[in-house]
Amino acid sequence: MTIVIIGNPNVGKSLVLNRLTGSNFIVSNYAGTSLEISEAMLKLPNHEIKIIDTPGVYSVFTMGQDQQVIKDLLQKEKPELILNVLDASNLERNLLLSFELKELGIPMIVLVNQIDRARRLGMQIQRDRLENILGAPVVFFSAITGEGLMELMQMLEKNIDEFAWPSRIESFFEQEKKPECVFQCRECSIGSESCLSSEDFRRAEMARYTAQLVVHGQSETQRYWMEKAEKFIDRPLSGTILLLALVFLGFFILLKFIELSEGPISALLYPLNLIIENFVANLLPPGIVNTVLSKAIPEGLIIPFTIIMPAMLMVSFLMSILEDSGLLPRYSVALERVGRLFGVSGQAVIPLSLGFGCRTPAVLATRLMPTMAERFIVITILSIVIPCAATIGVMAAVISAFHASLMVLVITMLMVLMVLGFIISRMMPREEVFVYELPPLRIPTNKNVLKKVRLRFAGFFTEVLPLLLVMNIIIRALMESGFFKLFHSMEGFTRALFGIPADAFVAVLVTMFQRYLAPLVLLNINLTPREATIAIAMISLSLPCLPVMVMTVREIGFKGLIKILIIGFITSFVVGAALNLILPW
Amino acid sequence: MYLKDMRTGQSGLVVKISKGHAAERRLFEIGLVPGASVEVVSRHPFHGPLLLQVGNTRVAVGQGIAEAVEVEINSSSGSTP
Ligand SMILES: Nc1nc2c(ncn2[C@@H]2O[C@H](COP(=O)(O)OP(=O)(O)OP(=O)(O)O)[C@@H](O)[C@H]2O)c(=O)[nH]1
Ligand SMILES: [Mg+2]
Repeated sequence: MTIVIIGNPNVGKSLVLNRLTGSNFIVSNYAGTSLEISEAMLKLPNHEIKIIDTPGVYSVFTMGQDQQVIKDLLQKEKPELILNVLDASNLERNLLLSFELKELGIPMIVLVNQIDRARRLGMQIQRDRLENILGAPVVFFSAITGEGLMELMQMLEKNIDEFAWPSRIESFFEQEKKPECVFQCRECSIGSESCLSSEDFRRAEMARYTAQLVVHGQSETQRYWMEKAEKFIDRPLSGTILLLALVFLGFFILLKFIELSEGPISALLYPLNLIIENFVANLLPPGIVNTVLSKAIPEGLIIPFTIIMPAMLMVSFLMSILEDSGLLPRYSVALERVGRLFGVSGQAVIPLSLGFGCRTPAVLATRLMPTMAERFIVITILSIVIPCAATIGVMAAVISAFHASLMVLVITMLMVLMVLGFIISRMMPREEVFVYELPPLRIPTNKNVLKKVRLRFAGFFTEVLPLLLVMNIIIRALMESGFFKLFHSMEGFTRALFGIPADAFVAVLVTMFQRYLAPLVLLNINLTPREATIAIAMISLSLPCLPVMVMTVREIGFKGLIKILIIGFITSFVVGAALNLILPW
Repeated sequence: MYLKDMRTGQSGLVVKISKGHAAERRLFEIGLVPGASVEVVSRHPFHGPLLLQVGNTRVAVGQGIAEAVEVEINSSSGSTP
């Protein structure tokens, strides 16, 4: 048997799936967390049920991309049951979708989720009335406390034979072939060209009427203190100041943490380093292979732990707090005006800030952007400007090793961000439609934050560590074999243009493809602070790493990637040349 | 009166929206339809977005939208400037 979960964004669908099946799908407090379909198995005493979670939608009868995903899924999976998840505190809007789903004729259970929150807000919902109106069983549920879980499981177990994919459902799927207006458009209050039909309005009215009928007792005075905090943050001045202060605090904590943790971690790992080095050196016959491996292996193992691990841990932690508290979308609003200058709406904040964690999922999150043009702009900025956690760690290490100027680097990155955004946005069509739902503020739960830190940090062992080890061996081999010396003839050229020695330029070229390799190459060259600043700037503002490239092709196609790569090369070289001209020392 | 002209704390009923299919659809989905009541929770300066309370949902809309939504003010609400 198969169940498909459908519901509005941010009502808790993914957390419901996690609750039911014990799985670990990402849950965050903003609309548009899940962008892809995911599934897990629920094992009941006598049955196994496949449950599929979908991205949140407000309506299934619209012609959008998200709706198509759900239509295709329904047609392919032919689920026996739809689990319609609602936010109990917002029935009026949520019921609109329920009425649409009801018309499909697929058996349905209505899960009124977040019942704990609704109660805290002083709301009471009349269950039997709701059941009568919807003609479907209603379960009060809380994915946080687990209320309603047993009831739902028993309901599934007991009625499992009655659920079935209906024999007639074609009309829904044929709709896509018809023109946008399926029903007769209502002409009065709303423009007749609108594709909202009288059916849509009928359902909206039913939803409003039903909500009024079944929800009782929400009094203004009973609202709890989170709502007061919300009021404060949603005021333009106080809110914006608070949000900006939090950003600075976040960066401060991050940089301090990296700084403070490097010493103890390397002291701790130093003996291990020696042991590995001796072990490898004794294992192999003396020669170049021995030299390369005995240096490269310990280095490739230890560098990630000392400089990448702290940054990844801290960024994951801070990001999770931002996502779960409901602050992230509030940044979208506060920064909407700023974003407009770059031709993107405030929603860009979400993928861009996710990029500080890891840019690969951030590229996926650009699906939140309302137009294709905006998506391209955001992916470009992500690929070229935003440093991911691993990069931040590495950059911090190189900066302190060479006494490079952090301020010059930060200013350069901001400048590039602005110039790039400005130029690309002038080349794109513009359309100003900003409509974004703000989630309620919530206190992040330890459990979810820890889970996400663990999830994000897994990439350290599966991706960063092996990659660094392999690349480190390759780079060591190139260095020991004198390969880099071949480039010394370029010295005049690189000095004149970028003010850096040829080795550093080669380092730039190598690390363009994987920024966090930068230290391995750079740390083995002698650089002045000025040279280091320029080289690091060129590296930080260059190309996306391989996983990001793959994701970019998947999301916007090969052509889009090529454009971004070209822009990346140009940016890096322009930055190098410009800094060489400007920097006085 | 249009949404963009409303003051913080004022509330009203949506009368008409004219902004083309896509935007109207988006607004419909979050409950901003003719007949719905909205309250302006806050307005960001420099023609920034407006924060609205629509039912139990808090929504941010850009100026482009705020110019397109016609409202009828509830005379009793938020008269303090
Ligand atoms: N208080 C309370 N919070 C909940 C409950 N269920 C979910 N949440 C919170 O609601 C937020 C959204 O949860 P998700 O599971 O990501 O919601 P979703 O419906 O999958 O969202 P999208 O994938 O964006 O459509 C998270 O912050 C959850 O912690 C609940 O029963 N009670
Ligand atoms: Mg989800």
